[in-house]
Amino acid sequence: MFSIQILLRRWLLPVLLGAGLPMAAAWAETVDPALRQQVVEAVLQEDEEQAARIEALAETGSDWAAGVLALWRAGNLQVDRPADGPELLFTLEGAVARRLDTGESFVPVSPKEVATTSKIRKAIKNATDLIAVASPDPKVRAAAINKLGMSQNADYLPVLLARQSKESDAAVQRALREGIALIQLTDEDDVVCLAAIGVLGELRSLGSVDLLQAMTVSDDESEAAKAAAGQALHLIERYQKQVETVGSLFRGLSAGSVLLVVALGLAITFGLMGVINMAHGEMMAVGAYTTYLVQNIFGGGVALSMFGFGLEVPGLNLTGAAYQSYFICAVPASFLMAALVGIALERGVIRFLYKRPLESLLATWGISLILQQLFRLIFGPNNVQVSSPSYLSGSFVISDVVLGYNRVFVIGFAVAIVFLTWLLLTKTSLGLFIRAVMQNRQMAACMGVRTERVNMLTFGFGSGLAGLGGAFLSQLGNVGPNLGQSYIVDSFMTVVVGGVGNLIGTVGSAIGIGMVDQSLQSLTDPSMGKIITLGSIIFFLLWRPGGLFPTRTRSLEG
Amino acid sequence: MRKSENLILIAGALLLLVVLPCLNAFGAEGSALHVSDYTINLWGKYLCYGILAVSVNLLWGYTGLLSLGQCLFFSLGGYALGMHLMLKIGKLGQYYQAGNNPRELPDFMVFLGYPELPAHWVPFGSFWFAALMVLVIPGLVAFGFGWLIFRSRIKGVYFSILTQALTYAASLLFFQNKFTFGGNNGLTDFKTLLEADLNAPDVRRNLYVATVVLLMAVLGLVKWLLGTKFGKVQQAIRDSENRVLFSGYATTSFKLLIFVLCAVIAGAAGALYVPQVGIINPSEMTTDKSLEAVVWVAVGGRATLLGPVYGAILVNVLKSWATTAYPDYWYLILGGLFVLAVLFAPNGVAGMPQQFRDLLVWWKSRRSALPDTAALSA
Repeated sequence: MFSIQILLRRWLLPVLLGAGLPMAAAWAETVDPALRQQVVEAVLQEDEEQAARIEALAETGSDWAAGVLALWRAGNLQVDRPADGPELLFTLEGAVARRLDTGESFVPVSPKEVATTSKIRKAIKNATDLIAVASPDPKVRAAAINKLGMSQNADYLPVLLARQSKESDAAVQRALREGIALIQLTDEDDVVCLAAIGVLGELRSLGSVDLLQAMTVSDDESEAAKAAAGQALHLIERYQKQVETVGSLFRGLSAGSVLLVVALGLAITFGLMGVINMAHGEMMAVGAYTTYLVQNIFGGGVALSMFGFGLEVPGLNLTGAAYQSYFICAVPASFLMAALVGIALERGVIRFLYKRPLESLLATWGISLILQQLFRLIFGPNNVQVSSPSYLSGSFVISDVVLGYNRVFVIGFAVAIVFLTWLLLTKTSLGLFIRAVMQNRQMAACMGVRTERVNMLTFGFGSGLAGLGGAFLSQLGNVGPNLGQSYIVDSFMTVVVGGVGNLIGTVGSAIGIGMVDQSLQSLTDPSMGKIITLGSIIFFLLWRPGGLFPTRTRSLEG
Repeated sequence: MRKSENLILIAGALLLLVVLPCLNAFGAEGSALHVSDYTINLWGKYLCYGILAVSVNLLWGYTGLLSLGQCLFFSLGGYALGMHLMLKIGKLGQYYQAGNNPRELPDFMVFLGYPELPAHWVPFGSFWFAALMVLVIPGLVAFGFGWLIFRSRIKGVYFSILTQALTYAASLLFFQNKFTFGGNNGLTDFKTLLEADLNAPDVRRNLYVATVVLLMAVLGLVKWLLGTKFGKVQQAIRDSENRVLFSGYATTSFKLLIFVLCAVIAGAAGALYVPQVGIINPSEMTTDKSLEAVVWVAVGGRATLLGPVYGAILVNVLKSWATTAYPDYWYLILGGLFVLAVLFAPNGVAGMPQQFRDLLVWWKSRRSALPDTAALSA
């Protein structure tokens, strides 16, 4: 699964995009007339030699020729067959017809598309592939080489070998060695074949796993080749394991970051204020749905319904960069929205229950049921679609490990939020009030701190952090009415494991739990991983009931 | 208060134990006095929930331990009896009748491709073993978990969170197909219990009567327990655990005993629930269900003997009505009920008469106080 994903991202997509449609303007410039003539002949002379002539175009290495061939294959190359003159090939650039043989514009009389047969399409493909091998862009080159290698067609071997002596780019050199070895796997000569297997093993070629596996069970191969293939497979699989481990650690880190932001919110409301907010997960969902709403407001609008009343949210119908910037607005919006809901909750319900923590647990659970059902009624029971903005949908690939931009972004942002929270709590007057109220409410009130207000703001801030977590989660996973439920147990565990009332502990335990959870999930299956994680957390807490960093206090009931 | 409680207990027992079953058995079909088989079955279900609620109340109302894992014990009891019922399907199973199941395995095992009956299933072929396990398994799980957790002096909210985590982990485990308990679908399609057809009206009536008897027995046990010295210590632990500890009582042992007792009660309720409802699956042991049981207690009135039973019946009657009449709004109603009960009726339905009396007293004193203030200002 993993290797297929890499294959898709690294090779197939660039090939599909890169060889698809070259820019018309780029090849309207000076093209050698002889080359033009050669291309025209290849297209128009429909005889036995046509396929060979098309493939011969590959030797020119011309991007222009490749572009024309691609147009032809796609059925976009036109021919004009006037009754009184010669056939004229031309391309359409918008409304302008441009002659292929001279590059000049003219007015066609009876235009028609140039037909292709499957044989010709195959020849065109071969030719464009070979031209791509000589492309000036190293990425396109490497992708094309890989494609040729995977085809295991010995006809391409000379081209690749010729390229190998000229190639200067290291990544492309590697692709060349891999591609050549892949083709040589089919070689009759055992020595060549064995050497190729050795090279593949040495390169840790993830793309060759299926082929090598087929070799180990094939009847046509010699024992030596089978053994060598087995050895190479072993090397590659070990490498693959490493790649997967690093990949899942990275995913764990990003999942842990979402958990971190959410649990940090909970650490403030639960750890500092002592309020058990079972609706904390729903604050996350508020954030995620706010992101969804902002996205739709930037886009085409959305129709919501509630208690039978329809509500049309008009859209700004933005496109391009303006639309893509929706996420930048959605992040603060989701914070504010969740904070507002949190403040309403604190004013409406929780402030009456500060002295009864167990009952605040029950009341907030009731609130969470109500909120969930409201989400279902307003946004529908199914998951809604939140698209990643373009600047978050790519990925880095570092030695076969795919690092998605969205995950990198989430990690980075989580670090920033932890830092900002720390600043707020230690360097601002509000932070001072918060800490004072949490340490000794009565004394703080005596000193003139408006404790009610501080409670409200603290709770709002904690809920807002959950909203931010929801906004991030919308970039990694599904947004649905039950989104909060899957996080609430984890968040409480995180706070308790970290040590209640200790933000540093929360940071450590969020990252730890996220990573352990992801690694176990990739080792076993998702729910088994979750069970083991929960089990080990329970045992950890039995061993250290105060968590990683217990708060020391002289109070008996502390 | 005590007297009226006894009166209600006796009247309720008579009504539930004698009148309803008699009306079901002897009332002419279609007459106003007839109680349908469906109603009997439904009330059997409500009363099983009532027993569960009593166990939650014994823990939360009287000992101060808010366990969010009572549904786990309820389901464990249910699964233990469900396993026996599964094995008794035997030749009536769909796969056996289709000729694909010569070993008479439960249908889900054939479906999931088990070669033979797993070893831990074998003894459940005996009813008495299964009946014993209904009590022993929840008790053992509660003992193991409770021993670890109380020894670590975990209490209050942390206790709730940990029991919630335990329940969550257990439900994930039971959702797994390879855990040999039917995964997602659980155990269902039961046919007979002790050779009696589970779909026959008289068997259902007997199950209902058994439920009422168990409920009465549990209520009697709780009432007796609260009067003993043990019960006093238990309530003292709720009010101030440290004082009890410093007075020389081993609070850990008290709490552990109560925790195990409540698990056993919940397990027995689950075992009666399963044959009446005809299915047990992991969705019964999610944390939501445990919290729902806590709602019953909160609505009915915690730390009252009969409150939990009122609460379980009231909320479930409301649920049966609302989920058919207003399916979209049921969760809004339940959530709202929860918030309102916590905020405005901390003693629940059972505490409402007292609350009204207090309100009346307050109102009167306010009215009589008014002339005084007028005199003062003059």
